[in-house]
Amino acid sequence: MPKYGMVIDLEKCVGCRACMVACKVENNTPEANYWMYVFRTEEREYPDTKVTFLPRPCQHCDNAPCVKVCPVGARFKREDGLVATDWERCIGCRYCEVACPYGVNSFNYADPKKNQYLDWSDADIESATGGAVPGYANPDLDRKSQLEGRKIAGSNHTKGVVEKCTFCVQKVEKGQNPACAETCPVFAITFGDLDDPESAASRKLKASKTFQLLDDWNTKPRVHYVGTPPGEGAREIERPKTRQTGGV
Amino acid sequence: MATSTRIDSTPFGMGKASTGWFIILVALLAVVGAGAYAYSRQIVEGEIVTGLRDVGPAGGAPWGLYIAFELWAVGIGFGAMMLIAASRLFGWSHLVPLNRILAVMALATLFIGGWSVIADVGHPFRAVINIIRYARPMSPFFGTFTVGLVAAFASMLVYLYLDGRREASIMATRPGRLRGWFLLASAGYKDSVAERIRRQRTNTVMAVVLGIIGVFAASTSAFVFGVQQGRPGWFGALQAPGFVILAGATGVAATILVAALLRAELGDRESFGPKMFKWLNNILLGLTLMYIYILLVELVTSSYSSSAHAERVTDAIIRGEYAWMFWLSSGLFLLTAALTAVQAIAGRYNLRYIVLAAVILNVAAILKRYLIVVPGLTVGRLLPYPEGSYNPTWVEYLVVIGLAALAIVFFMVFMKVFPIVSSQNGQESEGE
Repeated sequence: MPKYGMVIDLEKCVGCRACMVACKVENNTPEANYWMYVFRTEEREYPDTKVTFLPRPCQHCDNAPCVKVCPVGARFKREDGLVATDWERCIGCRYCEVACPYGVNSFNYADPKKNQYLDWSDADIESATGGAVPGYANPDLDRKSQLEGRKIAGSNHTKGVVEKCTFCVQKVEKGQNPACAETCPVFAITFGDLDDPESAASRKLKASKTFQLLDDWNTKPRVHYVGTPPGEGAREIERPKTRQTGGV
Repeated sequence: MATSTRIDSTPFGMGKASTGWFIILVALLAVVGAGAYAYSRQIVEGEIVTGLRDVGPAGGAPWGLYIAFELWAVGIGFGAMMLIAASRLFGWSHLVPLNRILAVMALATLFIGGWSVIADVGHPFRAVINIIRYARPMSPFFGTFTVGLVAAFASMLVYLYLDGRREASIMATRPGRLRGWFLLASAGYKDSVAERIRRQRTNTVMAVVLGIIGVFAASTSAFVFGVQQGRPGWFGALQAPGFVILAGATGVAATILVAALLRAELGDRESFGPKMFKWLNNILLGLTLMYIYILLVELVTSSYSSSAHAERVTDAIIRGEYAWMFWLSSGLFLLTAALTAVQAIAGRYNLRYIVLAAVILNVAAILKRYLIVVPGLTVGRLLPYPEGSYNPTWVEYLVVIGLAALAIVFFMVFMKVFPIVSSQNGQESEGE
């Protein structure tokens, strides 16, 4: 059984956020839900400012706090290393969300259909579409996983449940890479079997000096970073704007 | 005979309802209805109608007023359980008349506490089923809401039933509309000497059970927060003892308020005598002082040389956005201690001041519960997310006010169908 992981090269990352867009397209995530998020941060003051980028998918921790606290086993660790959410079992208590030190979970506060990027009920848009709402959805998201036969891909973007990055389990089970890794224009994201010394991810891990986010917290993340982490004083300089967070 | 004299004076208007009682009941039911309406909006629209939002990029708090209210409500329940245990085990006879009041109070607050959790989850119906079907004991949530709430509620029901059988059997000998109900409640009870001895033993065993469950349940509520290492402001070994002590204090304070109200309403100065309030005042003083000690230790520990993340939370609480709430609640705890201490030292007790101290303590406890839940979410972040914010909406306020009104309705209705005051003389003569 492979043990998947991800290596993100911060020295290559240019902070373009193409991975965030690819994730949204692949997983049809609702507005303001970022399964992949890229921090654009700066440290120190002008003219000594240092800008850094930090892509933050779910860390798929081996000692995941979210798995420990889930009262119904909706959040679980798979044999292949992925941390998955069973949408049909989740009760929406958000304990996983408050326990996760990485802030990777998103709760569907509203019906996600009403929360996509275009407001399909807007009068101008309705006049153009005749009231039709596009039925696009990635059909792969609705299938049960091969490993345990549970719905863990993004199929049921349902009001009242928590969701997060799945490492694009629907693609991984087909032997493909997650959308973020496939899309990155500078090959900063490498995905693969970390137990296989010949995988690209393992080779990258071996060849570079890496760190893990918040490794002091003993979460044992499966995402490794090449480069240096943002310092203590790092502050975010630009957040994506949505109707929920304001600015659009 | 002492017992029958006592029982003759226990009906307290049972089975009869005055106009005033009806007006208050209807008003409270209207508030409950408003809460139900607010909750229906939440069910239809989703929790987008609340002020809750995701941590992380969205900069919000996924838990807020519902959970703070739940902690306060179940704290009263757990505190009431501990007080029943203490009064039985340590032979605090002045508090014995309160036992049934404490039991009903515990049931009412545990009930609304459970409902506030249900109000908080995204899939309430699925939650009720899945928490049983897929229960995972390693989750502190399981400990609190399955073991804590259910065990506490069930044990209180059993206690209330066993404790009330004797009075029900005596009430069943008297004519009245509720006779059938009392016959049912006392079914199988003979009131023989042997049965009284058995009942007393059972009550002692139940007191031990209630005490253990009360402490255990309050501790598991604390573990929901205290074991989360990745949430600065929450993680800490003092959470559990702090929760237990605050639960005890709020339980005692709520008992003072209910006892004072019943004393005024029922005009029963014998059951709710000065010695009872003196005891309650002194217990409240002891628990408040212990909690102030916990607060001081927490403050020193978190502000001395904690991590930068924890320091941010402490800073927000002491000097930042939440400072007004923190200093107000701390000041109110001190004021409670002062009000109760002055009376204890002078040896002169004034019911008005005791009631005032109880009100103040409860306000302080609500603010403190909010401070436990929210700043750790909006400010306690480990990655460079922006600072979050949380403002409860009218939906959240109406739901919790509706739940509080429901607890009062529960109490008012119970008073009309069962003697609310335990028979003190009856207790003393149990072993005859």
